[in-house]
Amino acid sequence: MSNVSLNYNIDNNSINILKNISFEVDYKETISIVGESGSGKTSLIMLIGGLEKISAGNIFFKDSEISNMTEDEISEIRRKNIGIVFQSFYLIPNYTALENVSLSLEINKLDNATKKAKEILDRFGLSNRFNNLPSQLSGGEQQRVAIARSVVMKPELILADEPTGNLDSENTENISNLLFNYIKDENASLIMVTHDNNLANLTKRKITIKDGVISENQ
Amino acid sequence: MKINDLSLYSKYAFRDLIRSYSKILSIIITLLISLFILSTILTIEDSLENELNENSKVLLGGDLEIDYNNREGDRDLIKKIENISTVSQIVEFSTMISTVEKKLNKTSFTRIKAIDQNYPLYGDVIFEPAGSLKKLNEIDNTILVNENIFKNLNLKINDIVKVQNVKFKVIGVVKVLPDIGGAFVFGDFALTGKNTLDKLELNTLGSFLNYEYKIKFDDYKNKDKKINEIKKIFKNNDKVKIRYPENSAGGIKRIIDNFSQFLSLVSISAMLIAGIGIANTLLSFINQKNSSIAVQKAIGINSGNIKTIYYLQLLISLIFISLVAYGLSFLLVPVVDKYISDGLGLNIKASFSLTNLFIVFVVGLLVIIIFSIPTVNSIDQIKASSLFRNVFQSLQFKYTKLSISLSLLLLTILVILFAFRSSIPTYSLIYFASFFVCLVVFFYVSQLIILLLRKNLIKLGISSKIAIKNITQSKSITPITVMSLGLGMTLLLTLAFVGSNFKSEIAKSIPEIAPDYFFLGIQNNQKDLFKKIINDTDKEAVTEIVPMVSAGLVKINGIDPNTYISNTNDSYWVIMNDRRVSWANTIPKDNPILEGSWWDTSQPNKLQISLDSKVAKDFGVDIGDKFTLRIYGREVEGEVVNFRLVNYQDLSINFAMLLNPQFAENIPHEYLSTIKFKNIKRFNEVNFLDKFPSVSIIKISDYLSKVTNVLNKVFIAVSIISAVTVIIGLVVISSAIIVQGKIKIFQNLVFKILGFSKKEIIMSSIIEFIISFLSIIFFSTIFAVLASKFIIENIFQLKWLFELNIFLYVTTGVGIATLALIVITNFRYLSPKVYPLVRNE
Ligand SMILES: Nc1ncnc2c1ncn2[C@@H]1O[C@H](COP(=O)(O)OP(=O)(O)O)[C@@H](O)[C@H]1O
Ligand SMILES: [Mg+2]
Repeated sequence: MSNVSLNYNIDNNSINILKNISFEVDYKETISIVGESGSGKTSLIMLIGGLEKISAGNIFFKDSEISNMTEDEISEIRRKNIGIVFQSFYLIPNYTALENVSLSLEINKLDNATKKAKEILDRFGLSNRFNNLPSQLSGGEQQRVAIARSVVMKPELILADEPTGNLDSENTENISNLLFNYIKDENASLIMVTHDNNLANLTKRKITIKDGVISENQ
Repeated sequence: MKINDLSLYSKYAFRDLIRSYSKILSIIITLLISLFILSTILTIEDSLENELNENSKVLLGGDLEIDYNNREGDRDLIKKIENISTVSQIVEFSTMISTVEKKLNKTSFTRIKAIDQNYPLYGDVIFEPAGSLKKLNEIDNTILVNENIFKNLNLKINDIVKVQNVKFKVIGVVKVLPDIGGAFVFGDFALTGKNTLDKLELNTLGSFLNYEYKIKFDDYKNKDKKINEIKKIFKNNDKVKIRYPENSAGGIKRIIDNFSQFLSLVSISAMLIAGIGIANTLLSFINQKNSSIAVQKAIGINSGNIKTIYYLQLLISLIFISLVAYGLSFLLVPVVDKYISDGLGLNIKASFSLTNLFIVFVVGLLVIIIFSIPTVNSIDQIKASSLFRNVFQSLQFKYTKLSISLSLLLLTILVILFAFRSSIPTYSLIYFASFFVCLVVFFYVSQLIILLLRKNLIKLGISSKIAIKNITQSKSITPITVMSLGLGMTLLLTLAFVGSNFKSEIAKSIPEIAPDYFFLGIQNNQKDLFKKIINDTDKEAVTEIVPMVSAGLVKINGIDPNTYISNTNDSYWVIMNDRRVSWANTIPKDNPILEGSWWDTSQPNKLQISLDSKVAKDFGVDIGDKFTLRIYGREVEGEVVNFRLVNYQDLSINFAMLLNPQFAENIPHEYLSTIKFKNIKRFNEVNFLDKFPSVSIIKISDYLSKVTNVLNKVFIAVSIISAVTVIIGLVVISSAIIVQGKIKIFQNLVFKILGFSKKEIIMSSIIEFIISFLSIIFFSTIFAVLASKFIIENIFQLKWLFELNIFLYVTTGVGIATLALIVITNFRYLSPKVYPLVRNE
């Protein structure tokens, strides 16, 4: 992405949230984004996922520029290539663990959706939780299901916004192991926002954001 | 969208629906009720029409009917017909049947059918005991009476009764006649053999004598040829009417048409009110799914496909609901059958009709689409990015130019579908227009309440303050309450006002103006004796006695009016058959002249006619126009010289046409009399009939009680059906409260923490209810008064009065039901146990 800016309009005042952000993510690269609360980390990740329209600049995903695509076109790219993990898990409450995971596969019309979903849940240690609803799962389990959902399509890029923010330390370790093992095995890229230094240190690169600009990139 | 996409999304829709149908239960219930009403109407209308069509020959009594009116058929011509078919001669007349034993002293004005051996050509007479029908023509002076006479006159089989002054043996009871075709609905009837006629003194006018010849073809091979032959035989005989099975039940069909038109309007009202609830419930449903939808978007399902899933859910529900609603309607057919077969002698059977099922489905679909477009469109507002921020804005109805035009277009289709299915589209269109005006007004009323209460005009107790907060908050249920209940209430009140005005107008006229008796068929030579006997019975009796002849209006200004006045004209009855006309020297007291002048006595040999002003208006007749009347087969031309205001409803003697006496006195005539006794007990009907066997007596109170009885049945049916709109309104309100539930729980929790008692919170709900309800009553009463006044005064031409009783019954009834519902629904949110609910979905 190059020279990306994001403005929010509040009561006709334009507030500049992100200013001239430029960086690149390589294949199989892992990046953590750190910074104070309110600095613009989440905003940045939303831009990369095509969930927010940029105010200036360009964002490229592989060779296509997503910054001027229609919502449906971005949907299409996101569906196939980007997996997103949220701080608050966000599983669909009236779907079972298995259904939550197979949803992505089904809408991409992949064969054996259920089988593949079972495999990935199995891999994440949830083989006896297939038919539980999210309300019947612990926080750690819910996040594992959520990660399973975001990776089941074998996306090339995984975006995670404080994936362990709502979890205790034991679960945090659990989740981070799972996530990084997966990325290593499947050769995916990861961009992860986190407050947790241990977690940030696991990534190859660390970008620090301060007041909407990149203050460190190492 | 591709087919396999569709099947995938259908699968999701199914799954979502099965797991969360309880959240849209109110949509399902309201749709089910209103589609059930619609299905019932369609099914019953269909069954009735089938019954009428299948039995049209039975109802007519033959393949053809030759109606000779009040004279006997030409024997030579009848002979000719008998050569090619079976003929059954039926003579109907009205006369008195009375008990022989003086101490019983009961009489009954009865329509008697004198039948021959061939009767009935089609269908069955249901009677007891077996064999008695055949005996009528084998044994002289035998009679079968209907159940009502049998009961009222306290008869047993083989008792003797008098018909006029001839004794008859009651050999049985007749329950159902096949060929009712519309008559015999109210009155008593009896069957006798065909030679009865020779024994009685029947007068053409007073007895309403009617000769009919029913014809049955023995084989159908040359049916059309035979019909043409018969037509030819009567070609030049314009006093004879030939009737065919197709129009045998015209009267009943018209009543059914009108009634079902009215009912369809009620059902569509119910559906539109349900629609308000559908929009609201659906919005809250989608609001609850807010985060799930955001997740779906994050995964990459686009907005259009998500909307498809929701539309599919509605579609699946609708298919299910339509099937159930249509199926349930079959359960109601036997009930209705019982209700109407008492009066009409029809037996209806439900039959499946794919068209009707389709209509039910399409109407449901239109309503759903109209009301769900802005709601489902609100899915566009949901952003996947909200998943990062953990804030979900609550959705609003999303109106775009396109969706509004689409909704309006579909609404128009719906209105047109209903309006033009009915026999009088104008009425339906007026109805729809009023409906939407009311809807808009009620919406603004709710906004006005909110606006006024925001102004904090008065200092209030704490419960009232909470109530006002509830009403004025942005998620207030006030607009929905006011609109849905307001519309239902307006409809119910209007019908209640119309019904009660109608009934009380009829009931009122009994003691005040109406006479006690009508006497029909007093002959010229009996007139003086009649007057004397009445005078001897009661010196203070008010007697009115007028001459009467039968006249047909055959031409207006030289043209047959049947060629340009249709049978939907309000005054069609004037040209339909021969009318009874009379004459008077002076202007009748209650018939003021509106235009023209009373008789020109300088021209005694010229026929002058005084016409009912309404008939004149309906037919477009002016003073000076020429009427040709046929009196005793002779055509006479006369001039219309004045218009009178005639009020038929006062039940005194009223005629559409009066003639100038100088001209008319020379015509052979009978007399009609009305009498109001000072002391009615002095009059003994049986004694009277001894002296005047051929005179018919109609006791007004008996007649009116029969009419009132029928009206009551109709009134009850109509009220029950229209109460459905209120019920739908209540379901809509309770679902709105449930939708508001989460807010309520938080609010009540806060209140509880702040130390309010349950009582104060309940009190606030009640105050909230009272404020909305008073405004609903106020406006729906205004609408109902206007609408019912219009209907009563313009359509029924009666005097309208505000019926306080009915007003109080309806408003308190609906009020209590609504209040109970509100308290019960709110009660669920009072208990602290519900707190955990807040955390889950
Ligand atoms: N919809 C919005 N409108 C206006 N300002 C917003 C909006 N969303 C976020 N912000 C502001 O943008 C800034 C960056 O937010 P965010 O990206 O969530 O920060 P971080 O994730 O680093 O805590 C904050 O100051 C926040 O208040
Ligand atoms: Mg953040």
